[in-house]
Amino acid sequence: MTLNPITDLQLWQQMLLYAAPLIIAAMGELLIERSGILNVAIEGMMLVAAVVCFVAAFQTESPLLGMAAAMAAAGLMALVLAYYGITLRGSQITVGLGLYVLGIGLSSLIYRVVFGVRLTPPRVATLGPLPVPGLADIPVLGPIVFQQNVLVYVALLLVPAVHLFLYATPLGLRIRATGENPRAVDALGIDVAALRYGATVVGGLLIGLGGAYLPLTLTGTFSDNMTAGRGWLSLMLVIFGRWQPGLALLGAFLFAYVESFQFKVAMATKLVPPQFLLMLPYVFAVVVLIRIYSGARAPRALALPYDREVRE
Amino acid sequence: MREARFPRLLLALSVVGLMLVGVGGAPSPAAAQGKRKLAMILPGPIQDADFNAVGYVALQELAKAYDLQVSHSESVAVADAERVSREYITSGYDIIAYHGGQFPTIMKKLAAQYPNVVFIQEGSGRMADAPANAWVIGRKFYQGLYVLGALGALSTKTGKVGFVGGVRLPDLVATANALQQAIRDHNPQASLIYNFIGDFNDPVKARQTAEAQIAAGADVLVTFVNLGIYGVAEAAKAASKPVLVTTLYTEKWDTAPKNMTVALVFDFTRPYREIVGRILKGEKGGYYEMRPGSGMELSDIRNVPPEVAARVRAVFREVVAGKPLPEITDKTP
Repeated sequence: MTLNPITDLQLWQQMLLYAAPLIIAAMGELLIERSGILNVAIEGMMLVAAVVCFVAAFQTESPLLGMAAAMAAAGLMALVLAYYGITLRGSQITVGLGLYVLGIGLSSLIYRVVFGVRLTPPRVATLGPLPVPGLADIPVLGPIVFQQNVLVYVALLLVPAVHLFLYATPLGLRIRATGENPRAVDALGIDVAALRYGATVVGGLLIGLGGAYLPLTLTGTFSDNMTAGRGWLSLMLVIFGRWQPGLALLGAFLFAYVESFQFKVAMATKLVPPQFLLMLPYVFAVVVLIRIYSGARAPRALALPYDREVRE
Repeated sequence: MREARFPRLLLALSVVGLMLVGVGGAPSPAAAQGKRKLAMILPGPIQDADFNAVGYVALQELAKAYDLQVSHSESVAVADAERVSREYITSGYDIIAYHGGQFPTIMKKLAAQYPNVVFIQEGSGRMADAPANAWVIGRKFYQGLYVLGALGALSTKTGKVGFVGGVRLPDLVATANALQQAIRDHNPQASLIYNFIGDFNDPVKARQTAEAQIAAGADVLVTFVNLGIYGVAEAAKAASKPVLVTTLYTEKWDTAPKNMTVALVFDFTRPYREIVGRILKGEKGGYYEMRPGSGMELSDIRNVPPEVAARVRAVFREVVAGKPLPEITDKTP
């Protein structure tokens, strides 16, 4: 079997398909972090969103309602994080980790409470490819980009949307300023807490959509811990992207490409142990992250609770 | 001090959530003093509708058949199995069953320390140094998978059969060897492409692997994964050409009706019932072999021509009758 890392269209198709949940969740995390809130609960939020999406889609036979329920569930978890981090000014890392662990247990619990033990698994129909008329037939680019499922298009459109929102709207400017210097924002009479609440909940909704992607497009079912680290990867992509949507997108593409490529390498050669190949995308991510992180600057007020009464 | 209360609440919720999920089933409320107690330790979630689910079903059957008090712990990692086992033993459980081939080292260690407890361990075959108080269930997966390999060899139109395996355990390597032999025996022009994805229960990775194999030309996918099968099914359904999929443990026709072709169905109730019956009669150790015809049966065969189905059934009968097959080896094919 020969390897064609450049000309293999299926490899590029897979890259987009598997990068999409990372991109959606990373955009949500980026919005949250740009407002100065650190959300380390992302993995647990995605898991809860995945199971809630699956249950809702199964019960209603509507993928749209599944997505809505997933977004609401993750949004609710984000609200808990916001309440603790903003209103109570507690440690965002502590509550984030608590929510992460809670998410792991809660997602399993919800599934078994609803479905119990079965020998025939419950399933939902997955979203198939939705070719874009007029674009799907373009040679090379058409099959790779324009013959994907609808959530891939959403993921790709989210990146410029988040970029434009942050850099070309007054609200985006305020959110960025809140992440950098909340005291200055407060001095202008802008409600820091409201901005952070808004960014955290909207980010949570996007993270929920990222979680819904897995059962709704890839598997048609839910399994314990099915995010398998994709939440943490999305968190890493925000750092990789230096808190810029475009660079985070690039990071997601790189990771998904390496991940898809290693399966092909494993088929083509048996000289490299499969365990090493499976580890490769994560090693790649860590190495690149270490390189990228040198010189990267997080939002200055990230993870710091804001209290206008405290003197600096 | 509102800040201090909130993390405690979350911590408590997290702990409760984990306990509910991780610890598994509580003893039956009907349990009474004097009943023999049996605990089963499972490596995955019992709602997988697959390997762990059939183990759980066997456990429930045992409780009914022998009036035992049963309990189980699911998704137990190897590192936690010793602790979980000791908790059961100190709570009076005197039959400990490991539904999975991951735990023999722990079983041997505990068997030496607790001679009055009987252990049941699943594995690839006979255990050379099995303790006197241990029953071993030798599951000859590769013999059953050979038959599925024959179906792949006889059905492939592209000349490529794919194998999606979970963790690269000896059972799975032996299976890859058996598939290779099945292809040599039934369609020497065909070839096998295979991957071990490092996890039995990751449907996303399984789908990625299946897509890569389909792109490489495979039109029959033999699987040896648990929850991963749902990812494989989605890959087969999404393929631009017809792709057949074989499964293990339970029939999964509804998952992909046009793609599912056959299942190697496992009945763990049979060996467990036999073994526990003998334990209750006082036999503390022994060996039970699961193989085609003994706890492993072929389901209906669908989506292939009748003559192929007939030949596959004939191959199954040959294996049941003792057709020689490759023994387990660590060498990949």
